[in-house]
Amino acid sequence: MNLLRGFATTLKYLFEDKVTVQYPEEERPVRERFKGRHALKRYDNGLEKCIGCALCAAACPADAIWVEAAENTDEERYSPGERYAKTYEINMMRCIFCGYCEDACPTEAIVLEHEYRLTFSDRRDSIYTKEMLIDPPPPGVPGTPQQTEPGRYTRSIPEMKDPL
Amino acid sequence: MTETVTFYIDGQAYQVAKGTNLVDAAKMHDIDIPVFCYHPKLKPVGMCRMCLVELGSLSVNRETGEVERDEHGEPVFRWFPRLQTACTQVVTDGLAVRTTTEAVVQGRNSILEFLLTSHPLDCPVCDKGGECPLQNLTMGYGPGESRFLIDDKIRLDKHVPLGELIYLDRERCIQCARCTRFCDEIVGDDVLAFHERGRRLQIVTISDPPFDTKFSGNTTDICPVGALTTADFRFGARPWELQEEATICPHCPVGCNLSAGTRLDRDAGGKKIIKRIMPRQNEWVNEIWICDKGRFGHHHTRAEGRLEQPMLKQNGAWVPIDWPAAYDLVAAKLRQYGDSLGVLAGPSLSNEDLWELRKLAGLVASEPKLGVWPAAMTGGDLVAQVGVGSGTMLRAVGPETAILVIASDFEEEAPIWWLQVKQAADRGAAVVVANARPTKLDRYARAVVRYRYGEAVSVLNGFAAQALKDKSLTGKLSESRVAGLSQLRAALKGVKPAFGDAGRMLLSAENLIIFAGGEGLSVAQHRELMQAAANLLILTGRAGRANSGLVAVWPGANMQGAYDLGYSAEATQALLDTPPRMWIIGAANPVAEDARAARAITGAEFVVATSLFMTPTSEAADLVLPRQSFAEREGTFTNGMRRVQRFYTVQGIIGDSLPDWKIFAAIGERLNGPKARISAGAVMKDITAHVPAYAQASYPRLAQVERQFPLVGGDDLYYGGTAYFNLSGLGLAIPPVAEDGSAQLEVRPVTVDAPASTDADLSLIPVRVLYDRDVLFEPSRLMHHRVPPPSVELNQADAERLGIADGDRVAVEGDGYQITATARVDGRAPAGYALLPVRLSSTPAPTTPAACTVRKIGE
Amino acid sequence: MEHILLRDLDIPDIRNFDVYVANGGYEGLKKAVREHTPEEVIQIVLESNLRGRGGAGFPTGRKWSFIPKDAPIKYVVVNADESEPGTFKDRQILEKNPHQLIEGAMIAAYAIQATAVYIYCRGEFWDLAHALEEEIEAARQANLVGDDVLGSGWNCPVYVHLGAGAYICGEESALLNSLQGLLGQPRVRPPFPAQPGGGLYYAPTVVNNVETLANVPWIILNGAAAYKAIGTPESSGVKIFCLSGHVARPGNYELPFGITFRELIFEHGGGIPNGKKLKAILPSGASGPVLPATGEVLDAPLTYESVAALGSTLGSASFILMDEDTDMVWAAAKMTHFFKHESCGKCTPCREGTYWLERIYRRLLRGEGTMRDLELLKSIPRNMQGGVTLCALGEFAANPVLSTVQHFYAEYEEYVRHAEATREARQAAEQMHDYTLGEAGELPEAVGQGGVR
Repeated sequence: MNLLRGFATTLKYLFEDKVTVQYPEEERPVRERFKGRHALKRYDNGLEKCIGCALCAAACPADAIWVEAAENTDEERYSPGERYAKTYEINMMRCIFCGYCEDACPTEAIVLEHEYRLTFSDRRDSIYTKEMLIDPPPPGVPGTPQQTEPGRYTRSIPEMKDPL
Repeated sequence: MTETVTFYIDGQAYQVAKGTNLVDAAKMHDIDIPVFCYHPKLKPVGMCRMCLVELGSLSVNRETGEVERDEHGEPVFRWFPRLQTACTQVVTDGLAVRTTTEAVVQGRNSILEFLLTSHPLDCPVCDKGGECPLQNLTMGYGPGESRFLIDDKIRLDKHVPLGELIYLDRERCIQCARCTRFCDEIVGDDVLAFHERGRRLQIVTISDPPFDTKFSGNTTDICPVGALTTADFRFGARPWELQEEATICPHCPVGCNLSAGTRLDRDAGGKKIIKRIMPRQNEWVNEIWICDKGRFGHHHTRAEGRLEQPMLKQNGAWVPIDWPAAYDLVAAKLRQYGDSLGVLAGPSLSNEDLWELRKLAGLVASEPKLGVWPAAMTGGDLVAQVGVGSGTMLRAVGPETAILVIASDFEEEAPIWWLQVKQAADRGAAVVVANARPTKLDRYARAVVRYRYGEAVSVLNGFAAQALKDKSLTGKLSESRVAGLSQLRAALKGVKPAFGDAGRMLLSAENLIIFAGGEGLSVAQHRELMQAAANLLILTGRAGRANSGLVAVWPGANMQGAYDLGYSAEATQALLDTPPRMWIIGAANPVAEDARAARAITGAEFVVATSLFMTPTSEAADLVLPRQSFAEREGTFTNGMRRVQRFYTVQGIIGDSLPDWKIFAAIGERLNGPKARISAGAVMKDITAHVPAYAQASYPRLAQVERQFPLVGGDDLYYGGTAYFNLSGLGLAIPPVAEDGSAQLEVRPVTVDAPASTDADLSLIPVRVLYDRDVLFEPSRLMHHRVPPPSVELNQADAERLGIADGDRVAVEGDGYQITATARVDGRAPAGYALLPVRLSSTPAPTTPAACTVRKIGE
Repeated sequence: MEHILLRDLDIPDIRNFDVYVANGGYEGLKKAVREHTPEEVIQIVLESNLRGRGGAGFPTGRKWSFIPKDAPIKYVVVNADESEPGTFKDRQILEKNPHQLIEGAMIAAYAIQATAVYIYCRGEFWDLAHALEEEIEAARQANLVGDDVLGSGWNCPVYVHLGAGAYICGEESALLNSLQGLLGQPRVRPPFPAQPGGGLYYAPTVVNNVETLANVPWIILNGAAAYKAIGTPESSGVKIFCLSGHVARPGNYELPFGITFRELIFEHGGGIPNGKKLKAILPSGASGPVLPATGEVLDAPLTYESVAALGSTLGSASFILMDEDTDMVWAAAKMTHFFKHESCGKCTPCREGTYWLERIYRRLLRGEGTMRDLELLKSIPRNMQGGVTLCALGEFAANPVLSTVQHFYAEYEEYVRHAEATREARQAAEQMHDYTLGEAGELPEAVGQGGVR
């Protein structure tokens, strides 16, 4: 009797919609707020949003982020203001995808996106550098460094809304 | 003993010395009164208004004169109706303070709200972020939210270079005037000022070149916001990412305590490197200040060109070899040339290095000649006799102390001592400057004594003769304690007291500190100068007392240590007179600095040098061993006041370099010497066992700290600035022999060489400048604009006679040397002398006075 | 009654040395030097109950008595930096009756045995200052100033110094700084100017207003009792009241203390022009709180005490009158702008508070104000008062805001409710803009580039 009941369950699921996804041929869409691989964002003019403040590294509970900053010049500008990230590395093996870095970022430069295919065969490959993380510039816009007109990009932090 | 008074904070009674500033008094009892503009080392100005408190006083019954008490027996206070600033209040008996009332809380809150209205919100990119008094006090006392509209924020220049070393961010400035007051009050350099008024009040530099002071970096430490930041550190790391390591400045005899902020660095291959240098508090030595050379002159520790492997010269070409081969080679050569060995110890070798080098030389020679380099000054043994006594603290000396600075351009040679002596003069100490030419300290001196180069000794002799006339000073001296007293008395009998005013000032004060430099003196003459200084101190009973004694202004960080361990300039002179067949040169560059030494060294059969870089001396050597800089290893330096201080490992090791003591010990092992010690601490243990003066200087003892005031660093950074709290040792001051009341002292008459008249045009006087091209300093590129080009200073009359104008290219020639330099005719050189700043060019010149001719050359 | 201070109204040419002397000039100085000891002079002035006319009303004789007798160097500094809006009394004395000031200053100098007298004139008084120097020279030639004054063996030169046009330099310690060649910013007190370390070149110094000193010769000549009989027991003597604004006959009126607002404005000043009603009074230039022109106010006597009881200050007694058409928000904005422009920037609440208030007024005048701004106008000025500023300027700057918000809040609400601002108000806002930092906060070029050479 129990046996029959067991087969009945099997039979029932035989005719229901299949839940198994044929990964990697088929990929299941992720939720909008899914936290996958990080991306470093750019402004519309191609400048990097990241200013190398290292607050993400400070917030990171897994100590996965390494930032070294340097100074922008108008001849060689990476980001608005004086400071940019010369080195930006995330150790994906350490990262726990908690999103604190995104919360800590004062310029909304780092965003955890939907990419989750993170595989590597060497521990060293788990370190994603700035070149790997940064978004390409928008079409038709030069990347960084750029030569910019003096006195234009003097401030790093976008001005916030008034606390009304 | 100063009078103590009782005052009350929030109802609790406390005691402090009368006259203490209220903010300081509260701090001494660990009560915070937040401040921005007030600084314990500066005069109060009451500008920021952050320290608002309620003040009151004990209510005293007018008839009985007794303190009124309430029903619980607690004293009753009367309060002033308005808030007052604590920083402008001096503690008096019965003063009462309330720091936690609603009015005070509201007052502080509103001040912070006001300050934040114009302060930008760029903490994420600000170098001060994370160690910022404004951040901390805002978190502690400020309003939770802003009522100020962001559109109304003032926008000002964010990147204003004040000189090449310091950047000003005008938006961040909160107009506290700490920087301008530091420059005015502490340094006395008129370089920064306020411009405009109201909300447009701005810091500007009013000097040319801009921010022209040797102490500019300190303003960034005491700046309570990120308005002043250094070009050196700029965005190097966030403060919380830095690991602070304790170290000692390797540049001059002051021995400033430093804190090195270090971090792993991608460009350095993942090594830990120095990101910035900041002062570490040691009220006995440098307080919380350091000069710009110490702050920015750390790049030699990792500069390009650092030697990474032992290099052997084979057929004129350098080939790398491994350490064992190098050790074997040196050991073999030592066996071969042991009877003709010369040792030269550079000024930045640690005590441990010097000890192992001495042991190594002792293995092959019964009486090894241990020379120091530069060999321009001597008399470290006399400093050991009559140096400053225990408890000497320059920052505390006042009218009871007289200070004589002789034969030294003090600011160039020992900037922080200069700063402290300048402030002592401000507090009323009688400062007398004796030199053959004007120096910057003259303007703070009570008396200035001018002599002709070579006659420095007679100045001191004159003072001694004057002292002898005063029985109250010299009457109590006993022949039994002081050997040679009668001979000295007899010799001084014929000496006429000169410079009576200066002498009276020096002799009438209770204490006497003599800072003796070596300018314009040969080694032999300098020995006489030091002896004359010792004579004066012993004659007047000033030897062996706190805030009293002899200090040599050495041309290096650890020359006093070298003398304490048996090295001397006389040995160097002897070696140069009869050059040995083999040289061991530890961390020195004599080939570039001195023509005579260059000849003596290049002529030897085997030269081994430890070095950081391929210097001219290394090039002249047969074997170059890569040594570690002060940053990569542990050790101790003995500063000019004979304070032994520890420095710690700060930085990752470059290449295969080793500390000098390890190199020398390993070679010693191969010569059947004792087994090499495993650590610098163990070497020091050896020293404590064998050198009586250093018996107490064990590493644990040197690491001891005590509570210092003012408190700096940590949670107190709003108060004293971001100088670092000293957790790693205040060092140990070695007492001079004279401090022991039963010790035998010795005086002897000194000989005064009349300045030799030569046929040559001029006498060449080597002078020291702070910013030079020393191997420890040259790699700090940021400072290059401050390093003057090779120059020679001429007197107006001499220049006219020779047809030379200011700015001309000239050749300076003499016996065995020739250098080209730019002529300076700026009124500093006395007639008949040419002043040659040393270590500015790589062409060797004399390091002691010599005859020279100067002629103009074409472009 | 003849004028005591504004004698030029009685004797037109009294500015000339000869005319002044012919009309009893310098007799006070002669009497003081020849008949009285310095102590007696101080005592007479003390008994006359002469109080400082610069605004604070501190008894002049007591101020002089604070000077230590044994100090080797002492100074008298005359505060002729008359910069308070609506105040022009010292100017008239300096311009029309300068010798009375010189005489008064010399008597003060004699009383404290000063080594020198400095007259610090505001920068805009350059023509007066040059004329004053000529008059001093005339007095010097008559041996009334300079070496061996009147044969007494006492030397006391008089110097004139021109300021550079900063309101704050009317504050005595900022004035001393400016006189010394330092930045015109107030000093921390104590030490007060009368104490060693607090005065000019850190020597004990008496700082007195022009009008105060101009009273002194008359007091010496006629005696303390005669002077004290004028005015009220607490506020003795005569005062020059400056009338300006919406008044038929603006100008200086020398009257005894104790007359009422109503008498001053309607009898002497001739009332409000065009038959309008009086709305508000600024009794002490821009720095005192505004008083609404109520019956209680108008019938109050003009003494230091009674004006204080009304919640304002008599200060320098410069009355700016505003009729019923006056926009009080606009008026407060003008005053706030003035204080913002004149704040020295040394202490935080004044530097930042005046800037912040000015920004809010600018919004209000442009018609962009909100109720939240009005709340700020109630609270920010409060944070600038109560001892939180280094000198009184910060407190003064808060006064017009607090008092107009208190008495004329409806007008503020009107501004917010009808966000559409008047054309005049908007123009005023734009004018304010001209003085302040531009939008991008440009500074003079030399400053922007990091150094002033």
